[in-house]
Amino acid sequence: MKNYIIRRLLQIIPVFLGILFILFFIVDRAPGGITSNIMDPKMTPELKAALKAKLDPDLPFYVKFWNWLVEAAHGNFGFSQKHYRPVLDVIKDNIGCTFALSLIAMIFSMLLGIPAGIISATKQYSHLDNFLTIFSLIGLAFPTFFLGLLLLKVFAVDLKWLPSFGLSDPKLASAPFLVRLGDYAYHLILPCLVLGLAETASFMRYTRSSMLEVIRSDYIRTARAKGLSEKVVIYKHAFRNAMIPIVTLIGFRIPGLISGAVMTETVFSLPGVGKLAVEATTTRNYPLLIGINAMLTLTTLFATLVADLLYAAVDPRIKYD
Amino acid sequence: MNKKFLATALSSVLALSAMAGCSNSQANTGGGEPTQGEQTLRFGLSGFEGVFDPILSDNVYDSYVCSLIFEGLVTNDPTGEAIPKLATWEVDGNVYTFTLKDGIKFSDGTPLTAEDVAFTYNTIKEEDYAGPRTAVGAAIQSVEVIDEKTVKFTMTETSPVNIWNFTYGIMSKDHYAHSSFEELAALNDQPLGSGPVVLKGWAAKQYVDMVKNENYWDPDNALKIDGVLFQNVEEDAILAALQNGEIDFCQPAAKAENVEAVEGMDNAHLVSYLANGYTFMCFNTTKPTLSDVKVRQALVYALDRESFLQAEYGSDQLVSLGMCPVSPTSWAYPDVSDLNAYSYDLEKAAALLDEAGCVDTDGDGIREMNGEPMHLRWLVYPEATWPGTLSGMAYDSWKQIGVDLEIVQMDFNTVAATTMDAEPGEKDFDIYTMGFSLSIDPDPTGGLFDADAYSAGGFNASGFRDEKSQELMKQGLTEFDQEKRAEIYKEWAARQNELVPTLIVAYRSEIWGINNRVHGLDDIGVYTDFTQLISNVTLD
Repeated sequence: MKNYIIRRLLQIIPVFLGILFILFFIVDRAPGGITSNIMDPKMTPELKAALKAKLDPDLPFYVKFWNWLVEAAHGNFGFSQKHYRPVLDVIKDNIGCTFALSLIAMIFSMLLGIPAGIISATKQYSHLDNFLTIFSLIGLAFPTFFLGLLLLKVFAVDLKWLPSFGLSDPKLASAPFLVRLGDYAYHLILPCLVLGLAETASFMRYTRSSMLEVIRSDYIRTARAKGLSEKVVIYKHAFRNAMIPIVTLIGFRIPGLISGAVMTETVFSLPGVGKLAVEATTTRNYPLLIGINAMLTLTTLFATLVADLLYAAVDPRIKYD
Repeated sequence: MNKKFLATALSSVLALSAMAGCSNSQANTGGGEPTQGEQTLRFGLSGFEGVFDPILSDNVYDSYVCSLIFEGLVTNDPTGEAIPKLATWEVDGNVYTFTLKDGIKFSDGTPLTAEDVAFTYNTIKEEDYAGPRTAVGAAIQSVEVIDEKTVKFTMTETSPVNIWNFTYGIMSKDHYAHSSFEELAALNDQPLGSGPVVLKGWAAKQYVDMVKNENYWDPDNALKIDGVLFQNVEEDAILAALQNGEIDFCQPAAKAENVEAVEGMDNAHLVSYLANGYTFMCFNTTKPTLSDVKVRQALVYALDRESFLQAEYGSDQLVSLGMCPVSPTSWAYPDVSDLNAYSYDLEKAAALLDEAGCVDTDGDGIREMNGEPMHLRWLVYPEATWPGTLSGMAYDSWKQIGVDLEIVQMDFNTVAATTMDAEPGEKDFDIYTMGFSLSIDPDPTGGLFDADAYSAGGFNASGFRDEKSQELMKQGLTEFDQEKRAEIYKEWAARQNELVPTLIVAYRSEIWGINNRVHGLDDIGVYTDFTQLISNVTLD
């Protein structure tokens, strides 16, 4: 197990470097640049070229790649050209909200989706199952931005129970922490609900189908034949095995915690990494784009490792050495 | 055990938050503590970057923050004339001598002197300066401090547009002392200027919280309210926030449905005006077919601009204004009767194409010119809706006169790179559309219609050259009498209207939704942004 982890950790290095290399190559081939958006006739081509040379020097992409690695080794992840601020600072400004939003939505959807999936599977074709199935299909099919705007209209505009935008009330910026925490929660109810509902539906679908497969297997019939209560059969014997694919699913969702949810962030006017990445692309703010992607790549690689380890933890048949 | 753990965790979290609370607020800028029930003007917007530095900000909302916190030597009146702000001036050819008003202080109480003025402009001229004001640095040859109140600028060229280089906020020499560009940039969220407000705190993509500058040097123009708050609200939700009373004013896109929505609100009203800008459609006149003025005119005649303007903006006013590359808000705008309106006329379009020798010789429904079929590629970006609408309409109506249109979608930056940044001869398009805001002065040098700006990185992608137009443009910069300059630009504008290397599609209109509790903002207009009205604002 220890050897396996060390081996996997070492594997992360070449994969990470390879992905980053490809990223630098793609970014180099993209049309346009940081000064292409400047629409000021007083900026002559000469002035624009001089500015470009300072902000984004014309170097071969592999040289940029190497320079980036050297700087990153010293803890410098570049300078966001649109913000005139280090990339790390700009990401820090946005990642907190993204993480909180996605984490709450994920926990909420697991707590709701997994039990609903189990119930749905054990009572297959019942009215409850039909209802939950229809609900989850609607949840999967409903576009996030539309659901978001709908809830915004009902709860913020018509009922005025919740705020329609933002993460916090600026007037509470120097209030005690608990007050601010409450304020954050108040602002995040709607976004978490919107983001969580779609995920609930997908957790439910996965749990249901995985559970149905397990329930039909021989050892469940054996357990029932032994005279075990239905509760023990389902929650002790079946559930643990049904969880195996779900654990993988959760592992793959981890990068999503920091990659952001562009639609939800946009509808509810929240800061977030998703929107930041889109902006970095449209303005050709390459240092920021590379910074965000490097972070996502690393997280994804580590999350995959965690998922594989969890896999072994829930499935005794899997052993790493 | 569990309880004890919880208590420890809570207290450490509290300690952490106390530290976090400090990092976000400004300590030394003279802002008072917030009081309950304070009167704050709340502006809803989306897209500020947090660069609150007059020589680095490159974003309309960051610039608004700078205009509130900083003051420039010069500003403009509602008609677009330059007027003194911090200083009066005298011009002698290319030498501008500014004399600062008495008693000007930064918000930390230190006096603003000629040294600070020189410092601000010299910073732009520094070797490693990598901000968006390099054009200002290039226009200024040298800065000389005469005495504490007097500073002399020698400009690179003698020109009537020089004065507009002096609108940028003056920065404190002591506060912004730096030894490298990185050091200067690191101060971009700690602004210190002489304006009526100071920054209290801000959070990325959330808000910018500004309060009254208690040390403001000009009591007559001090803020009557307690502060100004910018709140980040996306376009999708902005009208809901206005209706909810969560924000006091906002600027939605000037679309028919938004006008209707604001007009329908009980708690807010609409302010709209014609802005200083236009959307345009550029023809690549280096292509054999589009180099013929008759072909370009035919394409314009075959474009139903009137229906487009009504569908997209719901405005009859825009239709009546005609089209030329000077905004109707400018003193250089020609008489509408001197302009061809190019009213939708397919027969005339077909006749013009016949005249140009562009006819369908092989009977496939598409005209040919010199053996080449009339096949045009139009670059459309999806960041705005109107290029898609317009090109879609053109696709249908041009087909009727035998012109085949291919609509190519790419993002804004790629359109700019393909049309403007590419080398001459490698600009791979027939038509592209975009929108520009204009400067107050109508001088078109370096812009869309300047033949000398046809280069890699230049703004004229059409490749069109008309010597008469070039000559008029140069005359406009050597003449200092505004009435005579107006005559020159009017002739120039009418000429572009006739030759149409680039078609002006629509003049920009702007709309604002303002809560009825706000007084003093209704004078917002083409040359008056809300920051210039801030000292008049009161709230119910």
